[in-house]
Amino acid sequence: MLTKRQNLMETIKGGKPDRFVNQYEFMEIIMEAPLRTRPKPGETITNEWGITYSWPKDQLGAFPVHDEAHLLLKDITRWRETVKAPSVEFSDERWAPAVAHADAVDRNDKFVTVFFASGTFEMTHMLMGMEAAMMNLYEEPEYMHELIDFLTDYEMRYAEQIIRRIKPDALFHHDDWGGQIASFMSPDMFAEFFLEPYKKMYGFWKQNGIELIVHHSDSYAANLVPHMIDMGIDIWQGVMTTNNTPEMIKQYGSKISFMGEIDSGVVDCRDWKPEIIAEHVQKACTGCGKHYFIPCLTQGLNLSSFPGVYEATSRAIEEMSKKLF
Amino acid sequence: MSKIEEVKANVEKGKTKLVPGLVQEALDEGSSAMDILQAMIEAMGVVGDKFSSGILFVPEMLIAAKAMSLGVNVLRPHLEGGAAASLGTCVIGTVKGDLHDIGKNLVSMMVGSAGFNMVDLGVDVPAEKFIQAVKDHKDVKIVACSGLLSTTMPAMRETLAAIKASGLSGFKVMVGGAPVTPEFAFEIGADAYAADAGSAAVKAKELALSL
Ligand code: B12
Repeated sequence: MLTKRQNLMETIKGGKPDRFVNQYEFMEIIMEAPLRTRPKPGETITNEWGITYSWPKDQLGAFPVHDEAHLLLKDITRWRETVKAPSVEFSDERWAPAVAHADAVDRNDKFVTVFFASGTFEMTHMLMGMEAAMMNLYEEPEYMHELIDFLTDYEMRYAEQIIRRIKPDALFHHDDWGGQIASFMSPDMFAEFFLEPYKKMYGFWKQNGIELIVHHSDSYAANLVPHMIDMGIDIWQGVMTTNNTPEMIKQYGSKISFMGEIDSGVVDCRDWKPEIIAEHVQKACTGCGKHYFIPCLTQGLNLSSFPGVYEATSRAIEEMSKKLF
Repeated sequence: MSKIEEVKANVEKGKTKLVPGLVQEALDEGSSAMDILQAMIEAMGVVGDKFSSGILFVPEMLIAAKAMSLGVNVLRPHLEGGAAASLGTCVIGTVKGDLHDIGKNLVSMMVGSAGFNMVDLGVDVPAEKFIQAVKDHKDVKIVACSGLLSTTMPAMRETLAAIKASGLSGFKVMVGGAPVTPEFAFEIGADAYAADAGSAAVKAKELALSL
């Protein structure tokens, strides 16, 4: 039997996997790595960038607070005065749990993985709100380019630190580029603003020993796949069923792999049922096949909003492996 | 190209810097404010259709809506009674527990530019607030509820039930948001569903005219 890591490589290289890669199993995500403060349920916090997040107790997750009093960047032309990147230097003590976690991983079996969020586009809308982030691409393109370069530079400086500390094998990087049925911006606009910065950034991670770039965007983004390939993304995680993944696999499979096809929004609900999950898993596995595809919930981490859904999905994938391999 | 056509073309292209001046020039040339407004409404209709068919994206829609609203500012003193809207009022909001508003805002802009007077209640809106808004505003023709979380679908159902139970009438209810399906909309008793902002504007107009 192949190790999880070998099986992943066989899958994305079009080789001889001996089972489906089961969701996030190949990544050991080092969540202990210091990055910035995040709210817990019931909390409102202001993080190191100055962005305020609130997580009301009865809700699924945290939300940036963008009212007049809390919005950080109100005028893009003055971003240099307002946006200050936090330090990327943390003490040995802060790094210790992450280093210990990484040291304990059997790297033949799994990829030691860095988690990075929010990505560059997300950061622009965390700072100024979604509408401003998109309108400024038209109204103040020069300033947007500057801000994006600044955010890219921050990420590369962070990368330098974490690479030195834990010598990761893979990067799991969030940046949502679309909604359920469309990308947020046109492929041309996306290329104009985000292609080169991402190429530079993902290139930097790769030059420094990262073997695998897994990018999360739980959305439609089929129209951006050529740019994803150009940027150096190996696996697009979060692929929703609205993308027509079987077709994308045919078209791009040897250049990028697709991870998802089990829409969290549909199966991860309060009254979830294992049978329903199994149906979706079966459809994903039979429809997408054994190469360049990893069945996975579209959620951006190895968990579910409702307890049991992630595990039930993993079990259903195991069953499909037994049937199809 | 006539000035009015230029206004239309530049709203469609989202030329925020050009539109106000062009609207003024069209007025100076003797075009009526209503005709200019109609041209801008048509331009937004085109934008909506192109958005629905995946030719245009969110930034183009936002920028076109901004161009139109700047144009409307120039028109406003010339429009009868100051009110540009003629199709009635539309109350819109994202349902309780849900804080997503990009889709809702796009719908609001498109429905607004189709000729409705918009009352935007924002996000995390409890049922009572929708009901109160219907009571507080004249001529409410549409109540529009948005929801992006599968976990807030029950809140949408409750909102519709509460609106029904309130006994208020004279308006139609429209729902939408990524997890909402036409079947779900029907099941919870909505009068209409639309998949995107462009078709939401078309639907709203149909509904208002059917009243
Ligand atoms: C952008 C986004 C955010 C932004 C929101 C910014 C903002 N100001 O709205 C941020 C990052 C803040 C955010 C936060 C959260 N999000 Co969010 N988010 C998204 C994302 C990526 C895109 C949504 C979007 O804006 N789409 C673009 C717009 C244009 O499309 P739309 O909203 O569907 O609207 C169109 C149509 O639906 C329709 N429409 C909309 N409303 C209406 C109303 C009427 C009346 C009509 C007729 C039509 C209509 O017209 C619109 C325009 O064409 C989706 C992923 C996805 N694939 O959809 C997740 C998603 C919706 N989020 C999700 C979650 C879980 C959250 C959080 C709880 C946790 C988190 N941190 O991720 C918090 C929310 C807290 C809360 N209580 O609400 C989940 C929901 C899962 C579920 N079970 O339902 C999704 C699906 C991602 C996922 N797969 O996990 N999110």
